Amino acid sequence: MDILNMLLQGFAISLIPTNLLACIIGILIGTLVGVLPGVDTVSAIALLLPFSYGMASTPALIMFAGIYYGSKYGGSTTSILINVPGEPASVVTCLDGYPMGQKGRAGAALTVSAIGSFIAGTIGLIGLTLLAPPLAQAALAFGPPEYFSFALVGLIFLSKLTGTSALKSALMASIGVMLSTIGLDSLSGISRFTFGMDELDRGFNLSILAMGFFGIGEVITTMTNVKSKPKIPSVKLQDLYPTKEEWQRSTVPMFRGGIVGFLVGLLPGPASTLSSFISYRLEKRCSNNPDEFGHGAIEGVAGPEAANNSAISATMIPLLSLGLPFCGATAIFLSAFMIHGITPGPSLIVQHPELFWGLIASMYVGNVLLLIINLPLIGIFVQMLKTPLNILMPLVAVVTLTGAYYINNSIFDLMWVILFGFLGFLLQRVGFEPSPLLIGLVLGPELEWGLTQGLIISNGSIWSLITRPLAGTILALGAIVVLYNIICFTINNSKKETNY
Amino acid sequence: MLEKMIIFLCLFGSMAYLYLAHGLTFGTLGSPKSGFLPTLAGTITLVFSLILLCRQSHFREKKAQLPVDWTKFLFIIIGLLFYIIILNSIGYFFATFILLFYFFKLGDTVGWVFPLVISLCSCAVFYLLFSYYLKVTLP
Repeated sequence: MDILNMLLQGFAISLIPTNLLACIIGILIGTLVGVLPGVDTVSAIALLLPFSYGMASTPALIMFAGIYYGSKYGGSTTSILINVPGEPASVVTCLDGYPMGQKGRAGAALTVSAIGSFIAGTIGLIGLTLLAPPLAQAALAFGPPEYFSFALVGLIFLSKLTGTSALKSALMASIGVMLSTIGLDSLSGISRFTFGMDELDRGFNLSILAMGFFGIGEVITTMTNVKSKPKIPSVKLQDLYPTKEEWQRSTVPMFRGGIVGFLVGLLPGPASTLSSFISYRLEKRCSNNPDEFGHGAIEGVAGPEAANNSAISATMIPLLSLGLPFCGATAIFLSAFMIHGITPGPSLIVQHPELFWGLIASMYVGNVLLLIINLPLIGIFVQMLKTPLNILMPLVAVVTLTGAYYINNSIFDLMWVILFGFLGFLLQRVGFEPSPLLIGLVLGPELEWGLTQGLIISNGSIWSLITRPLAGTILALGAIVVLYNIICFTINNSKKETNY
Repeated sequence: MLEKMIIFLCLFGSMAYLYLAHGLTFGTLGSPKSGFLPTLAGTITLVFSLILLCRQSHFREKKAQLPVDWTKFLFIIIGLLFYIIILNSIGYFFATFILLFYFFKLGDTVGWVFPLVISLCSCAVFYLLFSYYLKVTLP
């Protein structure tokens, strides 16, 4: 009952004109980010971070949340129409969405995807509303060992779940932790790895890294890979109605995808991408016509699209209640909280209840607005898809560089952005995903604080650190994942050696 | 080749980092100091880099990669560095105009008038947006 009352107060806050406008701007930018291939959620939030300094914290965070979940709605449009996913979570939608478009059912696929996203988004939000407050309450009792375990296991899970090589992700995460140690040590006040440069005393700014890796990196990738533009089919309003059979076949997958997405979203890693793959496999297994998958099965659109939207709400739970980001987008979202002087975590709900509940309520509002706005605007989004990338990318480069300059009014930061952009391009070409590096950078200080404080409290006894009930359980879970990884690695290696 | 170069970069980077971390106080288990986590993180990165290097030399997996125009890549980097150099001396408006025009031409935009007009218009819009509306202090 208390949660319901607080949520109602949250609705009152989220419906204040300024906050509602921020929500609308956020979801429109988010949808645009999802629609346009080459611009992803992390880079969009990173680009806009510096410009939110002048905004009040509540509308600014509502806008960033809108960009985050709005992008998942838009991502399916390009998958269905031109077989190019607008963002990674929509890769699976290409498998059946594009064949549906080829059969003249693009409108139906877009509608099912939007309604599925709405239903699953609501499922995820209900989960977020019910789970985040008690978890935040419980987290008040957590000590350094628990935070250390969460941060460590978060990094271990992340390396297992990023989709690329586990070892490469682990390497990236450990480099992120290394980078997090650059600057003033908050415990001793000693300057570490700064080579006497005052600019490095503050350490690396997460936004600068994200702008480099995802903004400039993406600009370089796209501009050096100019391909011919595919033909984009036109979609009229009357084409948007699915048939009765399509409705019947997609209803259950939408709900199933919503539940799967929410559960996967609670785990560290790129939850929305992973949940869409899991949901696709599940739908294929549950379907009466598995052979139709890959040739335009509506379940293959409904399930994954629902799953990736539900996962978004779930990824907000560890961020809002523990202050721990478990994926790239929430890591950059954490940075949005920080620049507005707010620390997400157990104290957020106590110190800033209006922000906490206003943000959650705005996600419900945004979810409804996305459904209302998106379908009628589909024609405009199709037109936007025709924007040539050789015009769009230089503009993205200028916004990125201006945003990076704005953070500290420093040319020095621009150099870092270009360097990280250059590195991001090279890393992605050889299969090193930069997201784990960002999360390593964010979790590094948490890891260091938890480990050093935990060891001091336990007088240097690692045993008493790992035998605390919760910390021990979490670490045991991490150990199981590491063992599983080693076993899989050994089996794969022996298989490869046999093949050679 | 590129993958091997990146792994070597990580390997040497972690070795240099460990060397610098050695200069910080490690402390003890009961009282860890500023060099404690850097030493652990550096060692872990070094181990991961070594495993990846061994793995890479054992199994060469050929993956299909998108073709890249490396000349264009080089010109993009030169353009970005040139932007940083001229930004403070000629100011945001003109530096951004030059960068946009350069990138439009690098992106094979047809003709001269269209990229010139687009660069000028975009530059004016950015200047107005950032300088007047968002109150960004631009060089």
